[in-house]
Amino acid sequence: MNRRRVTVVAAAVGVVAGAAGLGVLAMPAGAGPAPVLPDVSAESLVESVLTARPAAFGGSVEVANDLGVPALADVPQLADGESKLRMWSDGEGRVRVQLPAADAERTFVDDGETGWLWNSADQTVTKLPHGASAEPKLDLDPDGEQVPPDPVAVSREVVAKVKEFSDVAVDGTARVAGRATYELVLTPKPTERTVLREVRVAVDAELRVPLRVAVLTNGTNNPAVRVGFTELNVGPQDATLFAFTPPPGAKVAEQQPTGPTDEDRALAEGALAEARPQVHGEGWDVVITARTPENALAGLAERERPGTPAEDEVDVAGLLARVGKPVSGPWGSGTLITTRIGGVLLADDGRVAFGAVPEQVLTEAIAQVK
Amino acid sequence: MTNPVVTRAPLGRQLRSELRWIVRRPRTVIGLSALCLVPVLAGIGLWFAVDGDGPAGPGLAAIIAGNGLVLPVFTLFLALPLLLPLVGAIWAADGLAGEAQHGTLRGLLLSPVGRVRLLAIKAFGVATMTLAAVALLAVVGAVVGVVLFGGQGMLTLSGNTLPVGAALGRIALTVLLVTVQVWGVAAIAMAISACTEHPLVVMAATMAGVIVSGVLGVFSSLDWLHPYLITSGWNKLVDVMRDPLPTGELWHSTALAGCYVLIGLSLAAMRLATKDS
Repeated sequence: MNRRRVTVVAAAVGVVAGAAGLGVLAMPAGAGPAPVLPDVSAESLVESVLTARPAAFGGSVEVANDLGVPALADVPQLADGESKLRMWSDGEGRVRVQLPAADAERTFVDDGETGWLWNSADQTVTKLPHGASAEPKLDLDPDGEQVPPDPVAVSREVVAKVKEFSDVAVDGTARVAGRATYELVLTPKPTERTVLREVRVAVDAELRVPLRVAVLTNGTNNPAVRVGFTELNVGPQDATLFAFTPPPGAKVAEQQPTGPTDEDRALAEGALAEARPQVHGEGWDVVITARTPENALAGLAERERPGTPAEDEVDVAGLLARVGKPVSGPWGSGTLITTRIGGVLLADDGRVAFGAVPEQVLTEAIAQVK
Repeated sequence: MTNPVVTRAPLGRQLRSELRWIVRRPRTVIGLSALCLVPVLAGIGLWFAVDGDGPAGPGLAAIIAGNGLVLPVFTLFLALPLLLPLVGAIWAADGLAGEAQHGTLRGLLLSPVGRVRLLAIKAFGVATMTLAAVALLAVVGAVVGVVLFGGQGMLTLSGNTLPVGAALGRIALTVLLVTVQVWGVAAIAMAISACTEHPLVVMAATMAGVIVSGVLGVFSSLDWLHPYLITSGWNKLVDVMRDPLPTGELWHSTALAGCYVLIGLSLAAMRLATKDS
């Protein structure tokens, strides 16, 4: 009798332990206590970020997207949710990026001479010239001299520019991917008419590189977009990661290094000239307006996929109706697509305005487009 | 009055006799032979698909051309959602409910073998047979894959080709991971099996549970529930085909299945301990 009771109690403990284990597994991993770091001023932190040298690392990045764009079957990437990517860099231009999908994977390897893009879903390899995916460089003065400017001077300029419209502060510390970081917060000045509340950047205390960026909007504490490392190993990486041999049986396509064809370029230039993009406002409430031919979007969609069967084509008008809501005012009428980080206003006559601003600022800007 | 001499059968002999008891059932042999057909049929189907234009299918099927060692992994993931849970449930159902139906469980409960020990022996039988079934699928799959598709090494989803040794290691890892998941389902089936004397009820309830949790996993409005469902970890096992191997999700789903094993066996022990013989 007694032994039976012991067995029952032990089994009950087992059930509780198992259920507790499920609960622990279901909980998101905690970030741990905030590290204690020496104080640093926001200005010197930003400067050190802009002048930091790239380091060799390997890690996983998580992109959490909560933009508030309605889920569309045609464009699943836009829908809210989380996606992961894994990347490695040797700090000298050789990189490897892997984008895992549910049961497939895309891999990009730049081995220093050639870029390789592998897609497991259709077993294709695309050869790209080296540096095709290089990060866009910070270019404050595109028409200026060709001499590379002094990075410290450039970073001071950037800080001054940012401070004109925002408050920059260091708001404590945090732990990102197990590393100690400073939380740099950019807040729009109260006069800025934007839907964004603040941008938080977690800067690694040692390497001075951003490890996490979060964009927060008015009225909620959940970031609209959060991109950050979940795992980071700094140090030399295995050299075999930066080599790629197309597997036998894969189709290898070579992308022309000449870029877009002349026809494409002429078309783009013509469209740009016709669109006459304009910038209204400055700082955070910048709104960009343009004018498109009335059927430009539909035409673009058809051009994108020549030779595909008709049922494959994107129904642009239908798409707009599903994503946006009809609006009208003294400026005319059109469709407004709002996301949590801004909006796009598409007037029926082809005018377009977009920016990280509320609807009213968009309509003000679009009214100025002739 | 003399105390009866307590003679305990050695554990090894008990475990061996349990395994012999399972293997001797004709339905076990028939079931295992039928399982061998799965990789053969999948291989032949993919072999015809590879001949056509474009990829042979979504996911792992896309990289199978000239890459035969992917077939065992493909087959295991194909069998994991329904077939392998069914296999685990059948053995768990025969272990306790089947014995109860034939009236032989009464003898086992009265015999001088502790009830926890009895459950351990039964669980060992189910676990070993599950591992054997999964390994059998993988071995047949590897042989069929190499015969039909050939190939040196294994092309991963990431585009790297692993040498043969590493490829066999990945297949062995897949066998282990899939087996632990089936153990999770079979442990719950053992708990049901301890409560009833109808083996069919065990199988039906287990399969219903697997199917329902698969369906619940589809609804995004129930995403708070998903981390608790054993089926939610099954899709992520495909990480085993990525290179370098990401271990995070694999550990996570294995730990999830481990929790299910603990809960299922504890419930079964609780029921067996309180059962009137």
